[in-house]
Amino acid sequence: MTATEPREGRIPDPIDLDAAEEARLRTAAGIAPAVATAAGAEYAGFEMVGIPDRPPQTERERELFTVDEGEMLVNMGPQHPSTHGVMRLLLKVRSEVVTDLDVVLGYLHRGIEKLCENATYTTVLTYVDPMDYLSSMHNEHAPALAFEKLYGIEAPPRAQYIRALVVELNRVFSHGLMMGFLALDMGGITPILYGFINRDEIVEMLASISGQRMLFNFFRVGGVNWDVNDEFLSRLGTWHSKQLRSIRDNEALLTENEIFRARTQKMGIISREQAIQLGVTGPNLRASGVPFDVRKAHPYAPYAELEFDVITQQAGDVYARYIQRIDELKQSMHLIEQIMDKMPHGPVQAQVPGIIRPRPGRAYAAIESPRGLYSVYAISDGGPNPYRFRMRDPSLISLQVMPTLMPGHLIADTMAIMASLDPVMGGVDK
Amino acid sequence: MAMTDTDPEVTRVATPSAAPIAIPDASADETLLAPFRIDEHPQGGFHGLLEVIPTKADYVLDLIRANSLWPLLSGLSCCAIEMMSTATSVNDMDRFGMFPFRASPRQADVLIVAGTLTTKMAGPLVRLWEQMPEPKWCVAMGTCTTSGGRFKRSYSVVQGVDRVMPVDVYVPGCPPRPEALIHGLMRLQELVKQRRGHWRTYVDRGPQRLNWEGDVR
Amino acid sequence: MRLLTERFADAAPTLWTDEDTVEITIPGAGAADALRTLRDDPELDFWMLADAAAVDYGPTERFEVVYHLYSDRHPAWLRVRATVSRADPRLPTITQLWSGAGFHEREMFDMMGIVFEGNRDLRRLYMSPDYRSFPQRKDFLLPDDAADSPAAGVNPLERPETWDLTRFAALGPLNPLADAGAPTDASAVVADPAGEQPEPSPVGAGQTDASRSRPR
Repeated sequence: MTATEPREGRIPDPIDLDAAEEARLRTAAGIAPAVATAAGAEYAGFEMVGIPDRPPQTERERELFTVDEGEMLVNMGPQHPSTHGVMRLLLKVRSEVVTDLDVVLGYLHRGIEKLCENATYTTVLTYVDPMDYLSSMHNEHAPALAFEKLYGIEAPPRAQYIRALVVELNRVFSHGLMMGFLALDMGGITPILYGFINRDEIVEMLASISGQRMLFNFFRVGGVNWDVNDEFLSRLGTWHSKQLRSIRDNEALLTENEIFRARTQKMGIISREQAIQLGVTGPNLRASGVPFDVRKAHPYAPYAELEFDVITQQAGDVYARYIQRIDELKQSMHLIEQIMDKMPHGPVQAQVPGIIRPRPGRAYAAIESPRGLYSVYAISDGGPNPYRFRMRDPSLISLQVMPTLMPGHLIADTMAIMASLDPVMGGVDK
Repeated sequence: MAMTDTDPEVTRVATPSAAPIAIPDASADETLLAPFRIDEHPQGGFHGLLEVIPTKADYVLDLIRANSLWPLLSGLSCCAIEMMSTATSVNDMDRFGMFPFRASPRQADVLIVAGTLTTKMAGPLVRLWEQMPEPKWCVAMGTCTTSGGRFKRSYSVVQGVDRVMPVDVYVPGCPPRPEALIHGLMRLQELVKQRRGHWRTYVDRGPQRLNWEGDVR
Repeated sequence: MRLLTERFADAAPTLWTDEDTVEITIPGAGAADALRTLRDDPELDFWMLADAAAVDYGPTERFEVVYHLYSDRHPAWLRVRATVSRADPRLPTITQLWSGAGFHEREMFDMMGIVFEGNRDLRRLYMSPDYRSFPQRKDFLLPDDAADSPAAGVNPLERPETWDLTRFAALGPLNPLADAGAPTDASAVVADPAGEQPEPSPVGAGQTDASRSRPR
């Protein structure tokens, strides 16, 4: 698409060989001559499939599949060591420099929106859990808010504070895992272990109130399902007093690390205008300098009463997104402290009948998930099931950044940039 | 020549009238091997090795295989996070020898299918399974891979991974706790030691013709 | 909110309703122009596209494409509903305004079949490229119960007659009230002269437990 030359000072220019030189070098090295095989021919027992085996359907595909001299299509298939899930990247490379990129999704599409149309409002809250499975509480928070608007009720204040508490805990471990995955994709194995230690502590805490380690079925329309109990409070106190030891260890390993900085700074820079154009939200947007946070823009539940400010970074590169998430993690810790101080007493669930038939209407609710703006648009037709349940997942929209951002970088930077965007395939593919 | 007949230096070769060399016939082995009948056993068969009677060496081999099962990194969705959580410090899979999650199927022993299998992903996953060299085992982790799970009525979810590949151990849960996955893996180790898995009876259909998108055609 | 509806009333003829969010309904052809006005007008200044969704109102009714916009100056979300006819589901694209709408439009095309003219990359996002249906339409029905579908029972775990319960014989009899011991193989269950065994579930007759789990 845009830059086909490598960035200055990073690697030397690719060697251009003409046919005679290449043949001479190949014979000297003992490598077989390059054989151009037509589609349908057989080579070494493998049947060659044309790339692709159907004509390109759109302009963009035509542009992508037109391979120039010296370029190659490399497939980073649905199974690859990066831990983001099943996503396929088609890279067009010219000797290690990426010139174009296509993202193929749908390997985890489970049809959740369609399933929710046949489920009652309470069941919908169980279906949305495995979407963005690293932030299940956020996945449930937005539908709960949207359905409360449809019902015309509001959750009691204690329920709102408990919601904010678990949501911030979820944000803490999700950002901690992002740090781990970023390092893992670049080859460092220790930070992910720290990330999972942190996650295990928090998730056992959440399991003591919701019963589940991961896909917490905790939110109900009108509140939360169970109140906090002693075990939860004691685990919370223990964890808090340790002051995020594993996150600090992680930081000590990565933030001042020369190799990490060399691989992440000035890499994958999203400018302010680009970020707004492409619909990027959340820490990715704030790392590019746009101070947009849904908790401040449209405050929901108790965030209007809590004190926090919107953090931004200016650089917009991978390192800035990493620092942004660390800062938000620490901010979430402060928020948790405020919530624990201010939590009122009272019921945790509003009185709502089991199968409810709200009046026909439409509702839209947006929350700030660790990946960005997560919103739900629900339409009710008066029956027990929502008529249309639409979720807008931030990871899907953030992935559109990739074809714009990637040309000019090396293949190895691809994984770093993708890890910094922090997509979760369950949310991307719904 | 007549010279050789009367030459006293030449020794006489045994004539055909002497007793023939006794060639042992297979009928005696029939009675000896009757209790085993490995070629007729559903999980048996000769695979090019003379493994007629399990020996102590086989026992040691099975023990080696069981205690260093290398999983393939095939985490599809939420169960993958719990699999990673099982592999990391708090619940350690390394004590079972399963720390190296190989990225390449050629180097892996176990395919732990962790996460929902969709129809689009079924092709690549079957291809991965067929690329894995034998002996190989498959663990279906989570309810999505056991039977479709919470996505039972979905239009794009394969209702259980055993519709596309043979499964040795099912670990239910959504997602299964790390302790549950470890229990399942310990049962897999018992299977490996007793040679009770599917890898002897599974018929390999050969390399599949997949289209550009990786779908099974 | 009132301010906003007044300001927009001087644009092309529209209908509007009022909630926590402000809603505007326009015909589909004018969607791109309306959104351009909303984004570029300095007083409206809706710089962020939060969501673009498609709704199917029934097998004989219209489609609707719903955009949600955000602006710093206005306290409410703005919802723009563009109606599209079902017979000719085409709409101009908004990728020239926000390139982030590309995936939204691809998803709407994939799930509902709404074609966005001018989108350079309108192909299926989630389903395979040769998939022929549009899943989120109202005439695409999910099976009511998987046990009724033709693929029920393919999985041996869904067929209780294939379960080998002899492995659990060490745990004790299944029904502590029954006198007979646990059968050694499945055939003994059917031919029990004393009639002490509980009645086997009639799986062979096509009735599964799922068919009795709720009133039909």
